[in-house]
Amino acid sequence: MPRIYFKTVDRYVEFAEGEEVNVLRMAIREHCDVPWQCASGNCGTDRLLVEDGAENLDPPRRRERARLGDLVDAGYRLACQTYTRGDVTFSWDPDQVGLDDEPGSGGGSRAGWAGTG
Amino acid sequence: MAELMSHSDFRVALEQAFAGTMAKDASFSRAWAAGKLHKQHFVHWATNHYHYIGPFGDYLGLMYANTPDHARDAKDFLLQNMYEEELSDDRHTDLLIRFAEACGGTRAYVQDRNNAMPFAKGMQGWMYYVSGRENFVVSSAALIVGLESQVPSIYRTQYPTLINEYGFSEWEAEFFDLHITSDEIHGERGYQIVLKYADTPELQQRCLHYVREAADMRFAYTRALYQTYVEPDLGPWVEEDERQPALVG
Repeated sequence: MPRIYFKTVDRYVEFAEGEEVNVLRMAIREHCDVPWQCASGNCGTDRLLVEDGAENLDPPRRRERARLGDLVDAGYRLACQTYTRGDVTFSWDPDQVGLDDEPGSGGGSRAGWAGTG
Repeated sequence: MAELMSHSDFRVALEQAFAGTMAKDASFSRAWAAGKLHKQHFVHWATNHYHYIGPFGDYLGLMYANTPDHARDAKDFLLQNMYEEELSDDRHTDLLIRFAEACGGTRAYVQDRNNAMPFAKGMQGWMYYVSGRENFVVSSAALIVGLESQVPSIYRTQYPTLINEYGFSEWEAEFFDLHITSDEIHGERGYQIVLKYADTPELQQRCLHYVREAADMRFAYTRALYQTYVEPDLGPWVEEDERQPALVG
């Protein structure tokens, strides 16, 4: 069975061969503590570094490209926008916040919405 | 007398409750994914969909009011879902109207209730009823698990066809791309809430009943779209590969 390795919390999540699964959905389902806020590709809270298995992911979507910009080339994906069909390894900063909520970003309007569920 | 199921058994039961009547398998969805529809069919689809999901914020608001304070995570989820439908970015109904306009429709036509099928009005009434009258965990099962969680499976087959075969731009078809991903998460959060708060055999059985009913409602509505708007142009739906009638029409 293919599996997602959520390295930051040292958790493996398996899924059926031949399926394509949404990464954030699997993280929520299995309580893997990936930080997230909006689920629409707007906030960037759920950005993950792809450490291995990038070839098993679907290409970045329009919203994801717009939100992440250069971070896409640095190996980041948004969990809510990403589907995988095979083994993949992700890591993240457990304390990360939305891209507009980073210090000095001038954002912060979305702070306070439900987090990891 | 039913017994209380474990979370894992209850989840399997919820998933099986709508397995045979998913809207992605109804004739209108199959014709869409096969690239057979015309743009005027999409205008009719958008118009009916507007009257079906347009008041989704209302439904969620009723559910919010019916959710007790101790279920704070459920209340927060409903509020967040409502915010995303209406305010976080483009209003979702505006994205739907954008698509209808790309097909030759107008905002006024889509918003005119007289242009919707009785089936669409029936869906709307059913959703107002369930969200306003039922226990919050039962309405979450019906609207979030039974209906909203189906959306990615429908649009993941329809969206590529919109771009690659019908020739819509990503901007024109943004309504679909947005919901492929956002409803994955909304659906999963719905499952988590139902698994957590359906804590008696009676509530679990009532949730399963309403998931089945929701799936039946959406399947019948989607089938009616084909029968009302497409069948007069293309005839009864026949699967291309097998030349067999699709699931019940």
